[in-house]
Amino acid sequence: MWRYIATRLLLAVPVVFGVAFVVFAMVRVIPGDPAQVIAGEAATREFVEAVRRELGLDRPLLVQFAAFTANLLRGDLGRSVRSRAPVTHELWARIPNTVTLALAGLAVAVSVGIAAGVVSAMRPYSVIDTLVMLAALLGLSMPVFWSGLMMILVFAVWLGWLPAVGTGTPLHLVLPAVTLGLATAAIIARMTRSSMLEVLRADYVRTARAKGLAERVVVNRHAFRNALIPVITVVGLQMGTLLSGAVLTESVFAWPGIGRLLVEGVLARDYPVVQGAVLVVAFAFAVVNLVVDVLYAVVDPRIRYE
Amino acid sequence: MRNAVMAVLVCVLGLGSLSAGAAPAVTPQRGGTLIVGQGTDATTLDGHLYTDAPTATIMEHMVETLFELTPEGKVQPRLATGVQVAPDGRTFTIRLRPGVRFHDGTALDAEAVKFNLDRILDPATRAPWRFLISRVQRVEVVDSMTVRLTTDAPFAPLLAHLTHSGTGIQSPAAIRRLGADYARQPVGTGPFRFREWVRGDRVVVVRNDDYWGERALLDEVQFRVIPDDGARLAALEAGSLHVAVRVPPREIDRLRGSRDIRVSVDTSLRTIYAAFNVSRPPFNDRRVRLALNYAVNKEAIVRSALAGTARVSDAPIAPNVQGYSKIMTYPWDLERAEALLREAGYSRERPLRAVFHHPTGRYIRDAEIAASIQGLARRAGIELELRTLEFGAYLALTARPREQNDIQMYMLGWGTVTGDADYGLYALFHTSQFPPVGFNRGFYSNPRVDALLDRGRTTVDQAERTRIYAEAMRLIMEDAAWVFLHSESQVTGLRTTVQGVVVHPSERIIASAAWLRR
Repeated sequence: MWRYIATRLLLAVPVVFGVAFVVFAMVRVIPGDPAQVIAGEAATREFVEAVRRELGLDRPLLVQFAAFTANLLRGDLGRSVRSRAPVTHELWARIPNTVTLALAGLAVAVSVGIAAGVVSAMRPYSVIDTLVMLAALLGLSMPVFWSGLMMILVFAVWLGWLPAVGTGTPLHLVLPAVTLGLATAAIIARMTRSSMLEVLRADYVRTARAKGLAERVVVNRHAFRNALIPVITVVGLQMGTLLSGAVLTESVFAWPGIGRLLVEGVLARDYPVVQGAVLVVAFAFAVVNLVVDVLYAVVDPRIRYE
Repeated sequence: MRNAVMAVLVCVLGLGSLSAGAAPAVTPQRGGTLIVGQGTDATTLDGHLYTDAPTATIMEHMVETLFELTPEGKVQPRLATGVQVAPDGRTFTIRLRPGVRFHDGTALDAEAVKFNLDRILDPATRAPWRFLISRVQRVEVVDSMTVRLTTDAPFAPLLAHLTHSGTGIQSPAAIRRLGADYARQPVGTGPFRFREWVRGDRVVVVRNDDYWGERALLDEVQFRVIPDDGARLAALEAGSLHVAVRVPPREIDRLRGSRDIRVSVDTSLRTIYAAFNVSRPPFNDRRVRLALNYAVNKEAIVRSALAGTARVSDAPIAPNVQGYSKIMTYPWDLERAEALLREAGYSRERPLRAVFHHPTGRYIRDAEIAASIQGLARRAGIELELRTLEFGAYLALTARPREQNDIQMYMLGWGTVTGDADYGLYALFHTSQFPPVGFNRGFYSNPRVDALLDRGRTTVDQAERTRIYAEAMRLIMEDAAWVFLHSESQVTGLRTTVQGVVVHPSERIIASAAWLRR
C-alpha cells in the first residue's frame, strides 16, 4: 500500500509540471500586451517598458520558462504584478478560505446527495423518486451565480437570517457552502441512486434477503457499502471541482479564496498570480485523486495494489 | 460639498416628514463603523504604487496630499498651507502645515516631503504616476517647514498634479523601516489610520485621534470587496453594507423604491468618446467625421442606455475640470449628416463602411452604447461593423504606432483625475503624444492646437489658461476629432442612515466627514 502511494505521488509530479507548462504557455499566447494592461491605460511608454522588463516579458519564451521552473523548484512563485507582494503570500492568505468552503460544501453535498440517492433508490419510479430526481436536475441546471443570488435574496435580504456576503463569522459560511454543496449534491444523488439500484439487484443482496435479514440490515450492511464505491470516485472528482470550480460561488459571495484570486489575476493579467493559483488547483486535484485511489483500496478489499 | 449639502437636505426633509414635532436630529453623531462595498480589492497600500480608483478610495482616508482637489474642481492647500510661484513659473515654494504628525508619531516636515517626492521621482521606485511630477528637476529643503520645487520649464498644472492621490505624503521612517513590507501597513497623516488588510475581503481603517484637522466622527471604516454587482446590491439591501459603489443604471428605479436606500448620482471626471483614426481614410475626411457627429443622437444614448445618469459632452473634458468651458454639441441632424456624406462622395448605393472597435464591461454599458451608435449611424447611411475585444487586447490594438495602426474608429474613456485640462487634453490631442509615446491614439494633429496646449501648460495665470483651453477645445471640436459622447456619472447606493459621504468626481468615496444616524 505504501509503495503504491509513493508511486502515485511520483506520478503526480509530471502532472503538476505539465499543468505548469500549459498554464505558462497559455497566459502568454492570448492576445494583448500584458505590460500595457498592467501599466494601465494612461501609462507612459517608459513605464510600460519597465513593467515588461520587470516581468521578464522581453526575453524569449523558453528562457522565461526555464527561469520560471527554476524558481518554482525553490518554492518561489514570483511577485504579484499588481500588489508587488510575493505570490506565495497571496496564495497562503487565500488557501484556508477555499479549503474551508470546499469542505463545508462537500459536507453538504455528501450528506444531502447520498441521503437523497438512497431514498430514491429504495422506491424507484415512485413519487418520492421522481421528486428527488427532479430536484437533482434543477440543482444541476441552475447556474451558481443565479442560485447564489437567490439564496442571498431569500435568506439575507428578505428573511434577514444570514449575512449576505463576506467572511467573519461561521454564519458567513452557510450560504456559500449550501450553494456550492447543493449543485454537487445533485450529481452525487444521481450517482448514488443508480449505483444503489444496480447493487440491490445483485445476487448477494438477494441471498441476504433470502437468509431472512431485515431490510434495514440488507440495505445498510450489504448494499450501501458496495454502492458507495463508484460514489467515492464521483465525490473525489467533485472535491477537486469544489476546490477549484468554486470560482463563481466565491465571486458571488465575495469569499476571498483561490478561485477569486484566479479571476482577479486573469482580469488584471497578473501572470505570476494566475500561474500560482492554477498550480495550487492542479496540486489539489493530484492530491484528491491520490486520496480517492487509497480510499478505494480501503473500501473495496478486492482492489489490491501489491 | 454639493453632496454634503444634499445629504443634509435629505436628512432634514426626511426627518421633518417622519417625526413632526420632534426636533430634527441633524447634529452629527459620533461613533460607529461604516462599511463600504467596492468591486475589487486594493492592489497595494503603498500610496505611490497603485493605479486604480478602489485603492484610491482607501488611501484617501489614510494618506494626504500637499494639495487637494475639491469636488467642485478647486485646487486648495491640504498638507501645504500655501505656495509661492516665482515669476519665471518654474520655482514653487511650498509652506507646510505646522504641527502635523504621521500615524507613527513622526513629524511632517520639509525633509519628509522631499523624501516622498524624491521617492516618486526615482525611476527605481517605478511609481506609475511619476509622470505627473516628472518635470520637477529638484526638490530642496529651504527650512524645516518649507520646500522648493524647480521644474525644467514653466509648468502650470503642477499644483493640480500634486492633488493626485498617487503623490501622497507618507512617513519616511515607516518606509525606511519596513521596506517592501510597507505596502501592507501604510503610514500617513490622514483622519484614519490603518488597522488591517484581509486580502480579498476587506481593508479596515480606524479614526486617528491626533488628526490635525477636523476629527472624523466614525470610529472605523471598512472597505469590503464584493465583485458581483448583484451581490453588492443585495448586501446593501440586507444592511450588510452602508455604501455600494457602481450601481448598474437599470437598478436605480428599483432601489429608489426602498425606504432604507438612497441612490446618489454624482458627476465624474471621466469622458467617454468614439475616436477616429484621422490619419487614414475614411476618417481623414473632416466631412465624414462631422457626419457621424450629426448622425449620433447622444441625448438618446444617455437617456436609454444610461437611464439618464450621464451628461452629453459639450467639450472634450468634463465640466468639473479646471480649464473647462462649454464649447458646443453637434445636434442630432440626419439631413446634415446625409448632406455631408454626399459631399464626401458617399450615397445610399455606395455607403460609407467602417469598423468600429469597442470594449465590453470596461465602461458603463459600453457595448450597448456601441450598438446604439451603429444603429443611429445606419439611419444616416453609414454601415459600421462592430468589433468587440477583451480590454487588454483592445488597449494593445489601439496603442500601435501610426504605420501599423489600421484601426478606424474606437470607443474609449479618459478620466481627467488631476482635475486639470492639461492632463485631459495634452495627452489626447498633442502631436507629440502619438502612440507609442502617448495617448493620442487617433493621430489627431493640428499645429494651432499644439501651440495652444503648449501655452496652456506654461501659462501660470488661470483665467488666461481657461481662455487658451477654450480656444484649443473649439478647434478640436470643429475638427470633429471624436464623436463627443458623454461624461459618466457615478451611481452610488447608500443606506439612509449614512450621512456626509462624499462621492468625489475622481471616483473616490470619501467618508472622512461621514456619520451614521441611529
